[in-house]
Amino acid sequence: MNLSINLGGLVMKNPLTVASGTFASGREYVEVWHETLGLKDASLSRLGAVTTKGVSALPWQGNAGCRIAETASGMLNSIGLQNPGVEAFCEKDLAWLADQNVPVIVNVSGHSIKEYLAVIERLEHEQTVNAYELNISCPNVDCGGMAFGTQPSAAAEVTLACREATKRPIIVKLTPNVTDITEIARACESAGADALSLINTVAGLAIDIRRRSAVFERKVAGLSGPAIKPIALYAVYRVYKAVNIPLLGMGGISSAQDLIEFLLAGATATAIGTQNFVDPLACIHILEELEDWCRTEGVTNIQELTGGLQ
Amino acid sequence: MPSLETCRVLKNIPERGGIYRLVLRAPQIAKCIQPGQFIHLRLPALEAHVLRRPLSIYAADAREGTLELLYQTIGEGTRWLSTVEDGTSLDAIGPIGHGWQPPKELSSALLIAGGVGLAPLNMLAVQLAKTVDVQLLTGAQTGERLVLPSTDNERIAVTVTTDDGSIGPKGFVTDLARKRLEHTHFDYIATCGPEPMQRIVAALAEEFAVPCEVSLERRMACGIGACLSCVVQTTKGSKRACVDGPVFDAREVIW
Repeated sequence: MNLSINLGGLVMKNPLTVASGTFASGREYVEVWHETLGLKDASLSRLGAVTTKGVSALPWQGNAGCRIAETASGMLNSIGLQNPGVEAFCEKDLAWLADQNVPVIVNVSGHSIKEYLAVIERLEHEQTVNAYELNISCPNVDCGGMAFGTQPSAAAEVTLACREATKRPIIVKLTPNVTDITEIARACESAGADALSLINTVAGLAIDIRRRSAVFERKVAGLSGPAIKPIALYAVYRVYKAVNIPLLGMGGISSAQDLIEFLLAGATATAIGTQNFVDPLACIHILEELEDWCRTEGVTNIQELTGGLQ
Repeated sequence: MPSLETCRVLKNIPERGGIYRLVLRAPQIAKCIQPGQFIHLRLPALEAHVLRRPLSIYAADAREGTLELLYQTIGEGTRWLSTVEDGTSLDAIGPIGHGWQPPKELSSALLIAGGVGLAPLNMLAVQLAKTVDVQLLTGAQTGERLVLPSTDNERIAVTVTTDDGSIGPKGFVTDLARKRLEHTHFDYIATCGPEPMQRIVAALAEEFAVPCEVSLERRMACGIGACLSCVVQTTKGSKRACVDGPVFDAREVIW
């Protein structure tokens, strides 16, 4: 059985990675895997790739106040891309990832094109990085973040600038909070993106009726989990028909069945996000289920599923 | 380091005032859990509730492989938990967190609990009582909600108070703490309960120059230190309540 895929130049041994921000760089999860499964089975190398939490040029403090709220079949977050900056990321996270024998996709965040470039320029000196995921879709920061991902021209501009700074695969992560996601997707493709990942969280609001105020200081927060899966699947389906570059599909995947649905809708690879919180062994469990399903269904090459929707 | 363990419900019984006592068979976690650490419990039947619930440990028995928890039914998650029958399997991540770190040289300790906040202090009281005398003050809004330690121990002196005077003298546990601090010297204070109460205790500790630890609660997603949902602002930057806490040095917390 061949589970390997090629995501715009990034070769993955299976179509599963993690959604940025739900997994840090993987160390905390591997420790739980280790304690639960024993040393032999507890390796990050079981994943097709690891996608890191967003990294910015300088340290970001993240948002004040409440940062999460549970919603029906999902959750809202307003973390605000808290991270220690690219230098600390290289020292602490990349140094550790270097020994994990897994392809590394670094999620890159910035307030301006200059900041995206500063992160990439620093990471170009590091061998452990295999691809970049440009976060132009986070609803939880004011400047940058989603501002780049809602205008085709701005999305193209940041993609083009990063394209010129690296030969490594560039995956641009798109927001569903737009009128027509295919327009943004095409703009990124034209600007040189090697792949697209979708979707980032759906913008949402939570209200505390006792205080008559929003739960989150910034009001808006990002919805994730099973609640957004139909939105994500439809976005993948539409973008698959609009572009010729491969897609990394995500949004509410909690089982191998969900993962396969994303492949059929047009994704080449998929990411597990909120389910990591429900089950810290989710990635391992879903991969095992996927292998069982392929065996039962006689699927010998996972790539045959991509876009297989009749 | 935490693992994911399938736990078996041995007992799940109502105490008073919407407080339940849950006994789990969880040998992996029970053998290594330290006072102040917690578990992150999945609610398997509530599929619309995707997040786990962090719960304090009231008592642990390494030999029996059991954990004892106290929880108050507040939201849908804890209400569902209160309906779980003996023999049910629940999965928990644990033990999690940085627990109580009392000073090595210790001669007397003051523990201050608000309501079900006594849960994480109970294991500490039992541990400290092996070597020192412990004064434990426990308060609640009403007598129904008052929580007591798990065992009678002659080295743990328990004083109770309630806001409405239904059990013990009427008043706040923080007022009782002030009186106690005015008359007696302590080397260590540990507190858990509603955050405004813990804040007052932290100020008292500062006033009387006694080292103090607090146990803070935050909404939590992963529970293992990865998602940065549960941060606490401290003088040393933002810290994660799940793995850098839940117990913090009171002087470091920016309230």
